[in-house]
Amino acid sequence: MNANTTAAPMIGPRDRESFFEAQRRNRRATWRLSTVAVIATIVMGIPLALTITPLLYAAALIIADIVSIWAPLPPSFWQHANELARYGVVAIEWLGQGKATNPQALALGAAVLLLPGAILSVGLWLGVNALFRRAGVGGALLALKAREPNQSELKELQLADVVQEMAIAAGLPAPKIMLIDAPAANAAAIGTSPNDARIVVSRGLLEQLNRDELEGALAHLVASIGNGDLRIAFRVTSVFETCGLLVAVINAPFGRRSRGTLWRIVRYGLFGKKDSETSAQEAAAMAALLTRSAGLDTDDIDDVFDTTSQKKSIFRSIRTFLLFPIFFTNMAIKLSLWFFSFSMLVPSMALLWRKRKYLADASAVQLTRNPDGLAEALRKLNSDRGPIPGGAWAAHLFLVNPAGSDRMNDPKANAAQQQMWAQVWAASEASKTSNSSPPDPPDLPSVMKQITATGSAAMAGDANAMARMTAFRQAAATALGKSVDEMPNLADIAAAQHGDAAALRRLQEFGAKSRGTQSAQSADESSNGSSNFAGFFPSLKRRLKRLDRMGAHVELESDGGKSWIVIAVLSILLGPFALAALALLLLLIAIMVMASLAFLAVWMAFIHELFIVLLHH
Amino acid sequence: MSITTLIVIGLVAAVLLIWFIAVFNSLVALRVRVQNAWADIDVQLKRRHDLIPNLVGAVQGYMTHERSTLEAVTNARTKAVASSNGTVADRAQAESALSGALSNLFAVAEQYPQLRAVESVKLLQEQLTSTENRIAFARQFYNDEVMKFNTAQATFPRNLFAGMFGFSQATMFAAEETERANVQMKL
Repeated sequence: MNANTTAAPMIGPRDRESFFEAQRRNRRATWRLSTVAVIATIVMGIPLALTITPLLYAAALIIADIVSIWAPLPPSFWQHANELARYGVVAIEWLGQGKATNPQALALGAAVLLLPGAILSVGLWLGVNALFRRAGVGGALLALKAREPNQSELKELQLADVVQEMAIAAGLPAPKIMLIDAPAANAAAIGTSPNDARIVVSRGLLEQLNRDELEGALAHLVASIGNGDLRIAFRVTSVFETCGLLVAVINAPFGRRSRGTLWRIVRYGLFGKKDSETSAQEAAAMAALLTRSAGLDTDDIDDVFDTTSQKKSIFRSIRTFLLFPIFFTNMAIKLSLWFFSFSMLVPSMALLWRKRKYLADASAVQLTRNPDGLAEALRKLNSDRGPIPGGAWAAHLFLVNPAGSDRMNDPKANAAQQQMWAQVWAASEASKTSNSSPPDPPDLPSVMKQITATGSAAMAGDANAMARMTAFRQAAATALGKSVDEMPNLADIAAAQHGDAAALRRLQEFGAKSRGTQSAQSADESSNGSSNFAGFFPSLKRRLKRLDRMGAHVELESDGGKSWIVIAVLSILLGPFALAALALLLLLIAIMVMASLAFLAVWMAFIHELFIVLLHH
Repeated sequence: MSITTLIVIGLVAAVLLIWFIAVFNSLVALRVRVQNAWADIDVQLKRRHDLIPNLVGAVQGYMTHERSTLEAVTNARTKAVASSNGTVADRAQAESALSGALSNLFAVAEQYPQLRAVESVKLLQEQLTSTENRIAFARQFYNDEVMKFNTAQATFPRNLFAGMFGFSQATMFAAEETERANVQMKL
């Protein structure tokens, strides 16, 4: 514990909470929030069902028409179809004008409009569940070059031992350990159930944590496995995957991409090898595809209607005309998926997942009886986290958020970093002037100011300052254990500003190189997948606060409650606008759904008439 | 009696019976968990017995002046192995004596810097540390399970017939007096 932090002393008795109480509280919250999430899913299902149902009817009608070319269907069939349509019209009238003529007919009409789409969605969801059950969650991490810990190396033996100890403490079968040789420090639990769970640990984690902290970190993961988080994570992701599958099915007639996805899924379902790692990887890859196709980005169907990139021909215009209603359907589905998932589904599931994290923290304290270990581990990992390759689609399974920013700046880490820069600064000065007097104890703020001042002087063309900065660069490179070429070169930047082409080229090379090393790891992080899970992690500060209440000795930054005032004022000011925007979006979705219904109805009638005319001539 | 009263009585009896079965089964499940937890402690104790000869063999060459400490460990182990089939109290005592002898050995080993530098000894020491931890965690798990089992039996209304079903309170695995004495000796 160093004294550099500005922790406010706690006044009065702390409100303590035993880990059993904390667990009970979070378990109750889990139930509450899962109810909310289920309701959110159902609400989202209503506009979806409304848009999908007419498509099903259209498909059924076309099939019936085609069948009746060869084998005329009995007239009673068409009568029933007419009746169904009439009930549907009743429901639509009620939706549009709010007048309910006959409650029974209305209920029937609603059923006519909603049930087929709802059944299809639930069926797809069940299918997704059955299909991906083998893979569980986090299958993507299996694709990494993971290895078993080496029992003859102290740190890795410790890891294996600690996992065993935690499994014993939790009364669970010991999970398998996968070690990834990545410098970032993080860990995750993956799998389907406690029986086949695995724990993925990066080598960087072992370098960072001591035995107690390692124990805390792994206790969190083992507790999470024991609490059944893997199943919850699986349910959460299956909802998103179902949305993606729905979009893929609707887009399938129009594009190769969706057809490819569907074919891959069918192939996996029929011929996939059971219980093998490759099948889990394949499932994870498909899950990633599906989640992506539920996003708002351009899709196959947009390519069909993208007339600018295609040659004009009569055939194409006819096709565009014929398929026009589908475009509205697609838009309605995407818009309602996007709107409801961002306004209800993702927040409720994120909150649910946060509660599970708190629960796992509390259970970890129960296992280790040492809240300090976990608290210190979280603090260390938070200040030194980085992307784990392949982690984007399983980001929510990690111990600390592998991507994204955390609002809490770790005061300790910042102070340590500044200290390091100051020491490097002093060291580089000593080596340049080669005088033997030891550098003064660094006064942090003034040294930082000095560094920036020298930097700007060097940029302005001061040769002395430039020499100073070059020495600093060399010292910093040695301190960080990198070669000098890996550090940004101020001289080049200054020269490039004055039009030096060679310097500019060197800079570009440097940029490309540093991007290359980073992008190899973070390529999948930057894709839209990780943003889905950004809110799934509670902030470090809140986790530490809860651990503090369970007896950890953490120094908490106090923000004086100012941020709450700012948030309150902002929400009062912006609240009405946000509400108006929400209402507008809802209206837009309603219009889209109605337009899709209307266009599809007209389209259906048109095609039906066409068939009748063709048949009678 | 009319048919309705009969049906009501039958329904109440059925609900009561189902509840009895549920309570009985949950108590049995808890008891099995307690027994399992006890068996887990056993496994870890056995593991410690198996590890000690390796450790003694590895450090013998470096600690020629500490024969008595090493002998104490070996003797304590022999006693602990012999008591494996004895009563619980005997066992607990023998195992605590072994724990004490081991911590003594570690304390003495701290004085041999060349010993601490040997990689294989470090690994062995980590294994033994882990084994001690495992025993502690297995004990903690056992105690937690005992607590759950005992609480389930002692709370109303289950306390009325837990004894009738033949359930009795399980005993916690407390740290023995000898072990506490050893800890103090080390300080």
